[in-house]
Amino acid sequence: MLTGAKNQFKITLLSVKYALQREMLNKVTFFSNIIFMILNNGCFLIQWIILYALKDGIGGYSFKQILLLWGMAASTFGFSHFFFKDAYNLSTIINEGRLDNYLVQPKNVLLSLLTSSVEVSAIGDILYGYIMIIIYGFSIKTFLLFTLFSITGGIIITAVAVLWGSLAFWFGKVDMVANTMNGLPTSFATYPDGIFKGIVKILFYTLIPIGFANYLPIHIITDFNIYYLFVVVSMTVVFIILAFLIFYKGLKKYSSSNLMNVRV
Amino acid sequence: MRKYLYILKSEIMTNLQYTFDLIIGFAGYIIHIFIFLNLWQYIYSDPNELINGYNMNQMIWYVIITEIIWTAVSGRALSKKISADVKSGNIAYNINKPYNYVEYSLFNHLGGTTVRFILISIIGLLLGFVFLHGFPPLNILQILAVLLSSIFALLISTLLIMALGLFAFFVEDASPFYWIYSKFILVIGTLFPVEFFPQVLQPIIKFSPIYAVSYGPAKLFVNFSMNEFICIMISQVAYLIISFIICHLIYKKGVRKLNVNGG
Repeated sequence: MLTGAKNQFKITLLSVKYALQREMLNKVTFFSNIIFMILNNGCFLIQWIILYALKDGIGGYSFKQILLLWGMAASTFGFSHFFFKDAYNLSTIINEGRLDNYLVQPKNVLLSLLTSSVEVSAIGDILYGYIMIIIYGFSIKTFLLFTLFSITGGIIITAVAVLWGSLAFWFGKVDMVANTMNGLPTSFATYPDGIFKGIVKILFYTLIPIGFANYLPIHIITDFNIYYLFVVVSMTVVFIILAFLIFYKGLKKYSSSNLMNVRV
Repeated sequence: MRKYLYILKSEIMTNLQYTFDLIIGFAGYIIHIFIFLNLWQYIYSDPNELINGYNMNQMIWYVIITEIIWTAVSGRALSKKISADVKSGNIAYNINKPYNYVEYSLFNHLGGTTVRFILISIIGLLLGFVFLHGFPPLNILQILAVLLSSIFALLISTLLIMALGLFAFFVEDASPFYWIYSKFILVIGTLFPVEFFPQVLQPIIKFSPIYAVSYGPAKLFVNFSMNEFICIMISQVAYLIISFIICHLIYKKGVRKLNVNGG
């Protein structure tokens, strides 16, 4: 079983590597996409500079913690969109019958599908996260925790995207709903959780799980808590299991279309 | 002109077929307004307190109006379409048609923008009314002035984004230009009025397109004044002419170096 998992991991990395090589054919576009994404994220610092000039400690966060929050949001988003880009096209792929390509492969269908293409600009998001960490205050512990939470957060939001996209197995055209729901974590994750009240906070730990992907990790980095760390890692495993269970349950209902296409 | 109006009309009719999809797509807009409602409620300890001349309700209305204009234009889709037309060579099919590509794309996109603007205005005004318990005091003429300014803002915004998309003639992927433009409009124009920026930057912002595409209609809606209306109209007419000319210049220069391989 361990060898099987190791092989699958190797295949997944190779899949990402080849997708990246395809994108690197035009180097100018490749690097400009990354640099512009970093600048794009950097524009939002203006917003927080203005807000912190009006009031200190918004939502219980210092300005440096806001930088950390932004870094974490960018990095989890980047990790998810770089390694698992097609999680965000899942409903379209199912509806167009394009799963056939992956069904005939002797490897895990979901992983092969998720890692078949990469979003180059997402590298800019990941780098932006690390730039924020340097400004926040670099230390080995912060760096390691940040890297761990970028991975767990990225996996959680990918798993949620798989759950929403898998609805297409049962309900057909759910692209709009899936796109909308996939956009929610990014919208909320760049604002401190302290400004929200009531039911929204419950949503952060259920339907829009940025509580586990972003907010708890920020609290752990700023004030280490082993219990919270255990919760974040456990919930990542729970979301992975849920995504696989729902996807494979839905896959039994999948029917192909007469669309012919070739993966090169 | 009649052919372009016909394109506009047919695009409106097409978009009206997908109103349900459009409304679901506005969830992002509703979420943004919800976030800003929470944010400004947190920042204003007293709703009647004035920060840079704005009370809490005015700040939230400001964001509601600027976001209506930004969401209605749907710039990402427009920039992608223009870029894709150039990159894929589709633009070649438009060159020999009895219309100008720039005007065709403008009116084609304005069809969808019109439908989105009407629907999202209804949603935005309803949200504002429910959360803020009323509208800013405006008479019928002032409402018409805000509407006129909003229409100008939509036109200018569409033309500027088209100009960025047309850069695909010269660089392979023009989307990074759009990202930067959109973030500047979003952060400097949509989230805060000009008065929130340092004194030294305010004149620069007032001469930038941000004043014409974002600040203008929103400022008139939250605190109408005749002087401001005249200044905004002058800026909008100037930017409308400038952006129209820029689009045509880029297109003319770009189409000369167009090289489409057969397919």
